Amino acid sequence: MDYKIVMPVLSDTMQKGKLIRWRVHEGDIVHKGDVIAEVESDKAIMEVQTFQDGIVKKLLVKEGEEVPIQTPIAIIETDTNKKEALKPQQPQTSISPKEEPSTVPPVIQELLTTSPHPLPQGEASAAAKKRAAELGIDIQKLQSQKQLPTPAHLHDIEEIALKRYFTPKALKLLQDYNIDPKTFRTNHKITAQEIMNYIKEHNIPYSVPLSANRKAVIQTVEYAAKKPIYFVFETFVLKKVPNYKITAILLKKLGDVMQKHPLTRAKLEQEYLKIYPHSNISVAVAKGEELYMVVCKNIEEKSLEEINIWLQEIKDKTYIPQDLLGSTFGISNLGMFGIERFSAMINKDDVGIAAFGALKDNTIAVTFTFDHRILNGLDAAKFIQDCKKAFQGEENV
Amino acid sequence: MLYREALNNAIDEMMAADESVVILGEDVGRYGGSYRVSEGLFAKYGAKRVIDTPIAELSIVGNAIGMAIAGLRPIAEIMTVNFSLLALDQIINHAAKFRYMSGGKMTIPLTIRMPGGVSKQLAAQHSESYETIYTAIPGLIVLAASNATYAYYGLKAAIALNDPVIFLEHELLYPMEMEFKPQENFDPFKAEIVKEGKDLTIITYLKMRYDVLQAIPTIEQTLNITVEVVDLNSLRPLDMSTITQSIQKTKRVAIVEEDHKTGGYGAEVIARISEELFYELDAPPLRIAGQDVPIPYNRTLELASIPTPKKIAQKIIQWGRENGL
Repeated sequence: MDYKIVMPVLSDTMQKGKLIRWRVHEGDIVHKGDVIAEVESDKAIMEVQTFQDGIVKKLLVKEGEEVPIQTPIAIIETDTNKKEALKPQQPQTSISPKEEPSTVPPVIQELLTTSPHPLPQGEASAAAKKRAAELGIDIQKLQSQKQLPTPAHLHDIEEIALKRYFTPKALKLLQDYNIDPKTFRTNHKITAQEIMNYIKEHNIPYSVPLSANRKAVIQTVEYAAKKPIYFVFETFVLKKVPNYKITAILLKKLGDVMQKHPLTRAKLEQEYLKIYPHSNISVAVAKGEELYMVVCKNIEEKSLEEINIWLQEIKDKTYIPQDLLGSTFGISNLGMFGIERFSAMINKDDVGIAAFGALKDNTIAVTFTFDHRILNGLDAAKFIQDCKKAFQGEENV
Repeated sequence: MLYREALNNAIDEMMAADESVVILGEDVGRYGGSYRVSEGLFAKYGAKRVIDTPIAELSIVGNAIGMAIAGLRPIAEIMTVNFSLLALDQIINHAAKFRYMSGGKMTIPLTIRMPGGVSKQLAAQHSESYETIYTAIPGLIVLAASNATYAYYGLKAAIALNDPVIFLEHELLYPMEMEFKPQENFDPFKAEIVKEGKDLTIITYLKMRYDVLQAIPTIEQTLNITVEVVDLNSLRPLDMSTITQSIQKTKRVAIVEEDHKTGGYGAEVIARISEELFYELDAPPLRIAGQDVPIPYNRTLELASIPTPKKIAQKIIQWGRENGL
């Protein structure tokens, strides 16, 4: 039996997923729960598991490729007795010069694999021949040297022309800066230097595509900017505890106080305020260039020690959707950069966020941002008052 | 707007504007037309201008030609193109030729409306497409209305023309709700770019327009290309200028038609393209057409005999892969 693994739906806004890395190869034996791939959603890089035992029959998507959600990405043969069925994974004799994209819906794939149609005989399309003649390209010669496919199409000829007139580095620049090669007169070999000069002369920007993570952040902050919010500025007393991260202390203190203030554990859902029992706080974690709001759960049940370890581990983890869900409050700490005070955007549907600056003379500046729909000024004042007490007291440290 | 309403509006407005416009055919009067196209017209314009005829296609067209010679602007309705075979002598030998044989002294401002194509289980004698016959006749204009906008403006233009027009409709389109786009400077002989694209031109007309549009997302996603869709509207004359502009851009062309492949209208279009645009083509042209069989009654076989969105997608994807797309 073929068990198809599809591009998972990792968030309700996800339309496409990018396959970052395969963790298995074709022919590998896999067991239920094994991680087979890492994929990037519009939010984060996450792991994909198999839910059945079997042998990896076919990997349908290449690393780096982006496919719509629910597209099959791998086939697992679950009937492990059918060894012969799995073994002949010989590379298909590809007659087409292009690789088969793997976004083919199953119906189409069936047809394509069952009736390979022989390629038409001939050297090149009419359009390719015409262009080759204009450029003085000898199609037959290049085909015998395997530099051109048979039959050659227009884009093959254009590619040869580009290679003839541009150095590889120059071509790379054209691509990176999205410049039309026709901009340059092709009467000599064009170098990277020449293109760089053109780029500077015309002040052409280098386009960096938005990563899925950045797109998700944009969506989150745009959503947050629409909320009715207000700020509260405070300064707390805080003593650094050796061997503990300041963020760990902040999480523990806030998490404990949240237990006394149900509205800080609430989510607004249509006609209801849903109040959750646990203190779950999202923490801004920078990972390379990317920013994640990772959720520290059940803080009231955790010791400071446990939270400290959790913070260490979360740095190197590949996140699964659950890691980023379930918070009702947030913390952002820029103290380590010496920032004295700042305000933060509320993460997703959290009630609020506490932005902490640098610890200075045993005090720390904090700016709270609250969603007024859930928590009004009076509720906030009471919550902050309790926070202040907790920070002054020594009992939890 | 329903497709049949668009046709009804066109006839109604032309009849209101010009007393010489009359409509005749089987059941067009009291019954309101087999497909309700002439609904309400009998009550509005009376039996002299909305004329129920006997079941005799040759006489419908023959009478209409007589009216046209005598100064009226008749609209003859034939219940389906299949029955128009009975009227072929009048259409081909008389309507199409009088202007030429009289040295231009007689004109035949006649519109012959008829639906064709495969409906649902009407069997071989009621499911044919005969555009291939009518487009082969010099002296005839052949228009094919796939949508409410063209049905309205195209039919009005056809009625206003001083030459005989075969106005092709499709049985499955009559009850379809369609978007109506008001036009300025409408040209009945101009093809419509239904959707722009840069890697492949799909030419189509009548009901296949909708099958093609359904197949497009799969094709574009699978081959990672964009497809341009051209709806011909006018089959004779053929709008080669729109076709040329599209193919000069995309370099590849496929035609999707419901008619049988051998001798089908697509063969003519592809022949013109091969003659005029050979060196523009980066792939052999593709024809997707019906099977060379009388249309079967059995629904499964009926669908097997004509293009469907799934088959269109499959064929174009396979052809695209074999030809460098």
